Amino acid sequence: MASHGLDYDGCNFFRQRLVLSTLSGKRVRIKNIRSKDDNPGLRDFEASFIRLLDKVTNGSRIEINQTGTVLFYQPGLLYGGSVEHECNTQRSIGYYLEALLMLAPFMKTSLKVTLKGVTNDHIDPTVDVLKSTALPLMKQFGIDGEGFDLKVVKRGMAPGGGGEVVFICPTRRTMRPVQLTDPGKIKRIRGVAYSVRVSPQMANRIVDTARGVLNKFIPDIYIYTDHMKGANSGKSPGFGLTLVAETMNGSFLSAEMSSTPQGQGDPMLPEDLGKNCAQMLLEEVYRGGCVDSSNQSLALLLMTLGQQDVSKVLLGPLSPHTIEFLRHIRDFFQIMFKIQVQKPSEDERKGGDKVLMTCVGVGYSNINKTLK
Amino acid sequence: EAFLRQQAAIPNLRKLVYGSVVVADDSEDEEEELGGLFRVSRPQKSKRFRADAVDCSRFTPDSAHNWDLEEMLNSIRDCFVTGKWEEGQDAA
Repeated sequence: MASHGLDYDGCNFFRQRLVLSTLSGKRVRIKNIRSKDDNPGLRDFEASFIRLLDKVTNGSRIEINQTGTVLFYQPGLLYGGSVEHECNTQRSIGYYLEALLMLAPFMKTSLKVTLKGVTNDHIDPTVDVLKSTALPLMKQFGIDGEGFDLKVVKRGMAPGGGGEVVFICPTRRTMRPVQLTDPGKIKRIRGVAYSVRVSPQMANRIVDTARGVLNKFIPDIYIYTDHMKGANSGKSPGFGLTLVAETMNGSFLSAEMSSTPQGQGDPMLPEDLGKNCAQMLLEEVYRGGCVDSSNQSLALLLMTLGQQDVSKVLLGPLSPHTIEFLRHIRDFFQIMFKIQVQKPSEDERKGGDKVLMTCVGVGYSNINKTLK
Repeated sequence: EAFLRQQAAIPNLRKLVYGSVVVADDSEDEEEELGGLFRVSRPQKSKRFRADAVDCSRFTPDSAHNWDLEEMLNSIRDCFVTGKWEEGQDAA
């Protein structure tokens, strides 16, 4: 059968394939999912992701073979509405939310989703970072308005979870083209140091060392300490830090770090975590660009789906995830970006090479959106 | 890190991104035969790590950068408002 759409191999880039398939309406088949692994097939968190996708769409067809090594997905309409989902605790809510951020503006009715599970872990971007970087980024594309928000109701650390997050996103008919070519200078650094089921003093210890590193650059630093208690603190102990640098032109660069989950690996001192996280922020500043490294693909997607007009965005070095995303965009939307490397001049002290990405949007309009 | 270095080495990023991708080819797997009947199936880590790796958007930092050094700190000094400003630009 020739019409089963696009074919892919392996479980990597699972989310972006399904997301792009849903947006473009093209069917997708993924085979050889961990076919040589001792434990072949889809994992529980991927199954949970498929169920979430099924909840926000209407009429999707999903077929999985018996061993779970082959997945066929025929996307339905993006419906949205009020959804509640119990996310698998193998991956944090960030894993699910990243995909939802890409889908949410193109729903039929505005999305209000309650996600339960692990809010902060050390693999995926945490909810706090997405809140402070992805949301302002989406606002640049004209996604704004009543109730656009991401709220951490309860915090839940890995491995136990027990956290809860509410994400509300209005729909848009079209995306606005953007010209993000100059990030401007960093004017302030904000952050959240959180701790649950450990001494509240942990958060303060993190803040002290993180400030020590960053104070060499800028005095305007404020790191909130967030200690959740009782029912709001989830099932596992842990602590962590997220840092966000805001520039004059309203772009956000972030770094974050969480403590290793209870019972896995070496425990971490809050002092080390604060220092390492601050240095990761410096690394992110060195890479630079108008969009931070974990949101590169979100920005590129919204550019692709913009009106038929030129969009430009300056990025740091492309992450492997983003490079694969660009290939997928070519497969699903036949859009290739113009990629120009900008080398910093000799006397500038602004970090490494930057990449200017230019494209013309496909003129995607959200035909699902209801008129009021 | 290897990836970053590769990226820096190749001047044409477009080729890197859109050029033909080296796909892990199963037929090339060296399979030892045991008694002419069975084949040893060994997951080839180096070849298939991309296809079955963890799906994560985080970009791990370049370990070549040591942020304890003063020269590294100096390399990003002008990214902050406290750094040097270009001609024609002002803090106001």
